[in-house]
Amino acid sequence: MANILVIADIKDGVLKGSTAELLSKAKQLGAKTAVVAIGSNIESLTSELAAAGSDTQYMADDPSLALFSAGPYAACVVEAAKAFDANMIWFGFSETGKTVAPRVAAQLDAACATEITDVTLDGEQIQVVRPAIAGKVIQRIKVNTQILVAVVRAGAFEATAGLTGTENAVKLAIPAADLRAVIKEILSDASGDIDLADADIVISVGRGAKDQAGIDLVKGLANDLGAGFGSSRAMVDSGLMAHNKQVGQTGKIVAPSLYMAMGISGAIQHLAGMTGSKTILAVNKDPEAPIFNVADYGIVGDLFEVVPILQEEIKKIRG
Amino acid sequence: MKILTTVKKVVDVELNIHIENGAIIEDGLQYVINAWDENAVEAAVQLKENNGAETTLVSIGGDDNIDMIRKCYAMGIENGILIDDPSLTAPDSAVFAKVLQKVYEKGDYDLILTGKQAQDTDSGQTGIMLAEYLDVPCVSNVIAIEVIDETKISVSRLGDTGTEIVELTLPAVVTVSDSINEPRLPAMRGIMMAKKKKIQTMDLAELGTTPDEVGAAKSEIAEFMKSETRQAGQKFEGDAAEITAQVVALLASEAKVF
Repeated sequence: MANILVIADIKDGVLKGSTAELLSKAKQLGAKTAVVAIGSNIESLTSELAAAGSDTQYMADDPSLALFSAGPYAACVVEAAKAFDANMIWFGFSETGKTVAPRVAAQLDAACATEITDVTLDGEQIQVVRPAIAGKVIQRIKVNTQILVAVVRAGAFEATAGLTGTENAVKLAIPAADLRAVIKEILSDASGDIDLADADIVISVGRGAKDQAGIDLVKGLANDLGAGFGSSRAMVDSGLMAHNKQVGQTGKIVAPSLYMAMGISGAIQHLAGMTGSKTILAVNKDPEAPIFNVADYGIVGDLFEVVPILQEEIKKIRG
Repeated sequence: MKILTTVKKVVDVELNIHIENGAIIEDGLQYVINAWDENAVEAAVQLKENNGAETTLVSIGGDDNIDMIRKCYAMGIENGILIDDPSLTAPDSAVFAKVLQKVYEKGDYDLILTGKQAQDTDSGQTGIMLAEYLDVPCVSNVIAIEVIDETKISVSRLGDTGTEIVELTLPAVVTVSDSINEPRLPAMRGIMMAKKKKIQTMDLAELGTTPDEVGAAKSEIAEFMKSETRQAGQKFEGDAAEITAQVVALLASEAKVF
């Protein structure tokens, strides 16, 4: 039987949905499950971590771990992996996962695969499936080592309803701070914004929005719907949208129930970040825009005209 | 400051990729410098121009990497190393990181710059693993680099909760985001000069290592498959009020998102 260790995705003291999704998949594979939770003041999450489907909770809870620092974070994961004798170590899709997973793999002499969408276990043979070349191809990868460290792509696994676990908290030793990479401060993203990774609806804005007035218009629709608000690369490069809003191969990868592309032409790099969405709506003036090739519903039109009508019509339906 | 930049040649992602029998059809493919590595080259050249640095790049591959190295020369990189060895055919992040470790150890560099991932694999592992093997600090997904003094730099990283400001003691590895800069187009003079510059080519033996020492691939690609491409759905043209109302009705009744 495999032992699968899932890294708890905790942001601002809140446990994110990806943790239960990963634990659900681990249970489906018939594995023994554990989580490792790293942060400050997170002890109160223990029962929630168990309820998400874990049978052991490795807790690294210390004020020194309040700000993310890759070195100590990796040390906690490695310690938990050794204690649990993990065959697989899974991170949810995040910048934290992407930067810590290769460190953990190097320290454990394990294979590492990022952005996996599926994993199979045949005896001891682990195989994973992942997109590559900006989502143009899918790779099936055979793992040649006993241990795999993986980062799971957003939306790859679904949480099973009624998952249960056992509360069994194990305290981890707190690693020393990394004196060679000192985190000075974190300039917080605009507070109050809905996390793109969690949002059920994501609305992104592209060059078609032209300027701040266009952005405000689309943002109004996002606010109405309680949607995450994202951006194409062009709007980030022009300085109108923040870096952390960029959806695409190089930015956030999202897979919401509904993705609305507003004035986005649909460069391959953008498509790589959103084609996992369940339903895609595109609004663009150019009927030939490549975004229409992946959209379930396309409206050929000027978003300045279309967005206010969308707001009205959606209001009528939702009441 | 001595800067080592690692660059990878990758398939051009703008072109169509065809797959047959689990493999990518080579015919018709074109190769380019990995876009993120190009950002790393630009960052190295800017550090040279603004702070003074000696810039070297290294690439792993065959003769067909030479044009790419010359392009980096034309952008302002001073020295180029090509690691060409028949054992290094299947790209594996851990194996390549071990090879780069050997390159680093020969050169006594202060800073290693590389792209945060390669466009062909989108893995993002090699630079971070290299730092682990070298036991030096590393920050990934960096959007700004500032030199503090000869032993320290400050970098800005796009993290999960905001922009992280990290002070790094050199030597260190930094992997860059494409948001860090806009790579320059080489000037004609630079292109002409680049043609005459030497490229130091080495195999693993000349690098002082062996295929055994750099290790076997920890994973291998069993097959390539076609991406499940989405089908174009319904596209509506005409009166904005009318078609928008139609689409919203479909979003509710068909897609059931409202």
